[in-house]
Amino acid sequence: MTQASGVHLAATAPSAAAPSVPGAADDDRAMLRLLNVESAYGPIKAIRGVSLTVRQGEISTVLGSNGAGKTTILKTISGIIDPRKGSIAFKGVDITAQDPAKIVKHGLSHVPEGREVFALLSVLDNLLMGAYTRKDRDGVARDLETVFGYFPILRERRDQEAGLLSGGQQQMLAISRALMARPDLILLDEPSLGLSPKLTREIFEIVVRINREQGTTILLVEQNANMALNAADYGYVLENGRIVMEDSCERLREKEDIKEFYLGLKNDGVRGERRWKKKKMWR
Amino acid sequence: MSNLWNFNTLRERSTVDLPGETIPALFWAGARLRTDQVWMRQKKLGLWRSWTWTQAAQQVEEIGNGLLSLGFAAGERASILSNTVVEWLLTDLAVLSCGGVSSGIYPTDAAPQVHYLCEDSDSVVIFVEDDEQLDKVLEVRDQLPRLRQIVVFDMDGLRTMQDPMVMSLDALRERGRQWSQAHPGALKARCDACQPDDLAILVYTSGTTGKPKGAMHRHRGLVYSVRGLSAVVPQDAQDERMAFLPLCHIVERVGGAYHSIYTGARLNFVENPQTIPENVREIAPTVFAAVPRVWEKLYSGVMIALKDSGWLQQATFAWGMGVGGRIVEQVLSGRPVGAWLKFQFILARLLVLNNVRKILGIHRARVLITGAAPISPDLIRWYLALGVPMFEAWGMTETCGAATSTPPGQIRPGSIGQAAPYNEVRIDPVTSEILVRGPNVFAGYLNLPDKTAEAIDAQGWLHTGDVGTVDAEGFYRITDRMKDIIITAGGKNITPSELENDLKFSPYITDAVVIGDRRPFLTAIIMIDQDNVEKFAQDREVPFSNYASLTRSAEVQQLIQDEVDRVNRSVARVEQIKKFFLLDTQLTAEDEELTPTMKLKRKLVEAKYAGPIESMYRSTT
Repeated sequence: MTQASGVHLAATAPSAAAPSVPGAADDDRAMLRLLNVESAYGPIKAIRGVSLTVRQGEISTVLGSNGAGKTTILKTISGIIDPRKGSIAFKGVDITAQDPAKIVKHGLSHVPEGREVFALLSVLDNLLMGAYTRKDRDGVARDLETVFGYFPILRERRDQEAGLLSGGQQQMLAISRALMARPDLILLDEPSLGLSPKLTREIFEIVVRINREQGTTILLVEQNANMALNAADYGYVLENGRIVMEDSCERLREKEDIKEFYLGLKNDGVRGERRWKKKKMWR
Repeated sequence: MSNLWNFNTLRERSTVDLPGETIPALFWAGARLRTDQVWMRQKKLGLWRSWTWTQAAQQVEEIGNGLLSLGFAAGERASILSNTVVEWLLTDLAVLSCGGVSSGIYPTDAAPQVHYLCEDSDSVVIFVEDDEQLDKVLEVRDQLPRLRQIVVFDMDGLRTMQDPMVMSLDALRERGRQWSQAHPGALKARCDACQPDDLAILVYTSGTTGKPKGAMHRHRGLVYSVRGLSAVVPQDAQDERMAFLPLCHIVERVGGAYHSIYTGARLNFVENPQTIPENVREIAPTVFAAVPRVWEKLYSGVMIALKDSGWLQQATFAWGMGVGGRIVEQVLSGRPVGAWLKFQFILARLLVLNNVRKILGIHRARVLITGAAPISPDLIRWYLALGVPMFEAWGMTETCGAATSTPPGQIRPGSIGQAAPYNEVRIDPVTSEILVRGPNVFAGYLNLPDKTAEAIDAQGWLHTGDVGTVDAEGFYRITDRMKDIIITAGGKNITPSELENDLKFSPYITDAVVIGDRRPFLTAIIMIDQDNVEKFAQDREVPFSNYASLTRSAEVQQLIQDEVDRVNRSVARVEQIKKFFLLDTQLTAEDEELTPTMKLKRKLVEAKYAGPIESMYRSTT
């Protein structure tokens, strides 16, 4: 998506004029594609026509403030909420409004906001719950070793109740539990929620490692724009249920609006301090 | 309750003729007469606050005395850089009461423009709304040696500010209170010394080409216009009006604020530009003046909401509007409305039209007034079909507001009405330009005698730059801006604004610029209405991720093509728009492409998008 061209010529046969599918130019690598998805809670529309693409092997991120609709997007993808309109395709198959369990079997895991580990089960049992749909015992044992490799603390506390873990450890457990299903795509909902900056950094480092080493595609939803933009390859900015901007994270980091509204960088102006915000232009 | 067949509600109101030959004299006379009546309301943090005439007068007095304490001399200039808020008007009246000259600056202007306007107007004091506006002035104050004082209305975020040049409006009022004890009667003396021929306000034209020009208005012309307006706009102290257009613009300043000083109508200031529709619903103004953009927005809001409603509602609405439309036809052609039709209309109102009027907030409106830009006649018919009279007024900064208007009972969509009773209007026999003469015509452009001489000829006729016609009954019609008339390569004269208005009537098109001067055919640059086009895309599952990709999708291109085709069907072949392109950035008032009133600037757009325009003419298809 180039910003420079300014205008687009429409005059002749419109179909030939431009790539009409937004989000991504190269469709071959699209692992997940949302088209015009609209979800609502009763009369309140939470997302209003979201189209986005997550490419295979990449980390994509959706940024947005409280209530922008980030979590709703993830819930709609994993089938917890059925969309009112639009379609969702995962690995080329339409999964719109399918049963969540089927979607998991299809290779998509959701790490919910606020961890949601099974508090009364042991750490190990939590992890095995993640592998519930799998039949390959050897594979499960191997993957258990892999996640213990990423998060050694979970091995140490494998027999403790998950509810006794710290917030950061629970987040690690939630991510590991998702990995145990051997998913092709992980939906990661605000892994930084309630964590210290140091712990957040650690978790993000491992998320990137998982992506690089396991080749797992990740769709990350975050309020911590700084972390997300550094970890991810491609980003979407969501506002009031609409995507207002999309680009590679590298380019997003350079945009004025992102700097001011998401990274908290702004020039202080003539007085050396500034309280007012410039108008959002999203360009 | 207004009905289209009964114009009794629109007769001139028996207002008390306030004495006074200057704007401040009118204000002080009004304040003495109306004392505890509420004059202004403003919504702040969700609550409507009100100002009585006495309270407003007291604050104007304090601000005025504060200005005197700063050594503000008669004839000196003050600029006001703020959105439309109560303080804007209070400050304006204080400056005028001191015998000073006030000049408004659009809050959307950037620092360099603020610099130009302060320098050109030779302002010694500038009033700013808040920290955001203050920063613009601080950025350029080194280049404004004549500027002595900056006064801030809202000090939020500036409590710790220590700067000898900056003070809050509250501090200025406090200074004024103390100063007036030592100098009682000084402000009144200054106000009484103000003469009708003194310069009162500077209104900068929006400057679609080149630098803005400061139109000078004297008290005499302003007071004359305000008195004259009463014959055109039937309003009195019982009326509720909205205040939301920029006060730097002549429409809100003279037609809104100053006319309300004279008539006593209440001014209701909206909370912010985003809450206009909601605030209008809350107030339900009885006289509602707005620019076509607002009418278009309200209309398309209803039409789009309708698409989401059930078939029964849609059918009832269509029937109701059909009945309303038949009444419009009867009334416009001067035929009486039959009893059966009246009965149907009352039923239609009960079933559906009253609700639509309530949703729009026009259910108490005796009259709607549109002006300041061309409007589609179909849009006027739509409001008439709801049973609310809509008048069109035409005028410009240089005519101090309306120069022609729709006479009550003789609505003719497409015509700008007859000459207002207080000025002469005629058509130049050679150029067909509309000329205006009268005491309301401005006193010239500040510092620009050449431009003034171009605008006002030796006989005192103002050359408006609008080209038009007049019929036997004195109804004027605008064909276009003189400089905008397109002569195609084939030699055909085409008036782009008619085509543009037809395009804008589409709920999917916000604004358009038609191009074709010295070209083989016509093309257009089109700005889409984001909300409505998004909804269209959603309903048809057209994928898009953001504004730019929305404008690029084939379906949206086709949608706009259909709208262009609709317009093309109604015009001759040479007047058809053969190609167009959609602006793919979402423009705001801060962008140079738009005027503060959100109109596309033709010349600027043509220059900025020269590349894409050229390629429309290059390709052969």
